[in-house]
Amino acid sequence: MAPGHANTVSWRLVSPLAATYVLLFLAPLLLLLTISLYDDSNLSRIGGTQWVKFFGDPFYLSVIWRTVRLGLFTVGATTALSLPLALVFCASRPTIQRVLLLIVILPLLTSVVVRTFAWIAILAREGVINETLLSFGLVSEPFPLLQSEAGLVLALTQIEMPLMMLPLVTAMRAIDPSVLDASRALGASRWRTLFKVILPLSMPGWLAGATLVFASSVTAFISQSVIGGGRLVYLPSVIWQQAMVVYNWPFAAVAAVTLLATVLGGITLLAAAANRIGGR
Amino acid sequence: MIVGPINRRHVLAGIGAVGAATLLPALARAKGSVTAAIYPGTWDEAYRSIVAPALKKAKDVDLALEPLFAVDQIAKAQASRGVPPFDAFVLDPGPRATGIDKGLFEPFDPSKLANGSKVPAGFADKYGIAVNAQIVGIAYNPKKLPKPKSWKDLFEEPYVSRLGLTGFQTTFGTVSLIEIARAFGGSETDVEPAFAAIKKALPKVAAVMAPAALPSLFQQGQIDICYTNTNNVASLKGRGVDIEFVAPEEGAIAFVTTLHIAKGAENVDAAYAYIDTALSADVQAALMKPPSSMIPVNKDVAVSDLPVKSLDELATFKTHDWSKINPLRAGWIERFNKEVSK
Repeated sequence: MAPGHANTVSWRLVSPLAATYVLLFLAPLLLLLTISLYDDSNLSRIGGTQWVKFFGDPFYLSVIWRTVRLGLFTVGATTALSLPLALVFCASRPTIQRVLLLIVILPLLTSVVVRTFAWIAILAREGVINETLLSFGLVSEPFPLLQSEAGLVLALTQIEMPLMMLPLVTAMRAIDPSVLDASRALGASRWRTLFKVILPLSMPGWLAGATLVFASSVTAFISQSVIGGGRLVYLPSVIWQQAMVVYNWPFAAVAAVTLLATVLGGITLLAAAANRIGGR
Repeated sequence: MIVGPINRRHVLAGIGAVGAATLLPALARAKGSVTAAIYPGTWDEAYRSIVAPALKKAKDVDLALEPLFAVDQIAKAQASRGVPPFDAFVLDPGPRATGIDKGLFEPFDPSKLANGSKVPAGFADKYGIAVNAQIVGIAYNPKKLPKPKSWKDLFEEPYVSRLGLTGFQTTFGTVSLIEIARAFGGSETDVEPAFAAIKKALPKVAAVMAPAALPSLFQQGQIDICYTNTNNVASLKGRGVDIEFVAPEEGAIAFVTTLHIAKGAENVDAAYAYIDTALSADVQAALMKPPSSMIPVNKDVAVSDLPVKSLDELATFKTHDWSKINPLRAGWIERFNKEVSK
């Protein structure tokens, strides 16, 4: 088969998917960008006032920063919990592995709404955590967990954990055992093997996990509004309010484009960090 | 290949089968059908179990309900530009005023309804007709707190440290905050005193919440007092939560929920039949019973077991002019975000 022929075939095979992407993804995105360039909510005047208003207001700048910070905290917390668990997973017998896997993916099997509302029952003033702390006399007043950033990160960590854990496990299992043997044979301690061999080789998995966790925690509208409450304002709730309550679509579009850019920016930063740590 | 070659005939047969399947419901179709937007939750359940069978029985019209909040209905209708995804809206006063402003409704003629004259004067106009009244006031947990008297009490101990605040996103939130402003010397268009009270109370309040979280937070004891509508109170009470409704001494707030026909609706006659059925005395009486506990607007229905004794009493409640509120609301929402943000 001539190479030219093969190219036309692959081009033809790809074209339906490409057309779908252009139609269903690129076109709405361009529409979003266009809407953000209107001055008024009736979409009658073109101009950049919505952008100026959004980026000229310290409040919205702090909303962007807070949204990014929420993503970074969640990535940090899921990493701290997933790394040891993934190591245990890879060192376990297949039976234990199956049990661990079930526990890890369990949160994915319940609806996000149910999970979020279940967290209210856990974090509330009269919830599981506070009742336990009070009955043991560890605190004298209920500890405010609900409507706090710490509570929100805690809930998101449980909700997003599988997204970090699964790619990490996949990457770790792909490590050739003979590499570990070589490290040990060359006199490296267990810790040195962990930091110099296992972790750098798991980096692609971590990067995939961190990307997923970051993207889904900064956009977790339900968890953010229900657990975080009205005092913690994040970009998704600004978009919702502006688009659905106030009907100021241009301003909502500016916030939406900003959120998109924030997610892409965050992912790029994570990739850069991962390359650095991975020593590549 | 495991599946075997797929040829054109297979594909056509498949497409044909799919096409035939979509035609099937048409064969079973009754005299007409109408798609109506409905609020999710209590409204959806009540209309599905009471209005739909009544409409089928009385007019042989099939009712399809699409659960959507008021703001979502407006957004969808606006985005569809003349080809509405449903025939009838159900709206609170704020979104109704937006719908009128954006020209989303078909002109409405109450005289086409058998029950059009059964509602009090002012409940029907050229845009739509009221189908239910809502009352807004204070809800509190009688096991934890003494009975509050005034809007001002919310911002004093022992109430303020158990208070759950919501913003201007909902109708009940907006009208409550207006009345709170009024109690502190403001007006329908001047909510500054409410912001001052919120700012002072903020370090003490139990929660600043998303309206959707209100029932859960009340049930979990995170908050023990808030402003809300009687529907929320009735549905929580039905679940065994310790909650009581109290009308503040300044007066409780009333507003009506209205039905509208969407501009460019396919099934206008069926939509009138649907609205007429929803307003009929039997249906209104059934909707009044728990768990829906909706306040009827049909004068033939004897009101019982509700926070209002009659339709005449309803007329004495506080009402608001949403054509004045709507232009200011965007600014209030933004201001609320900024005031409460940590």
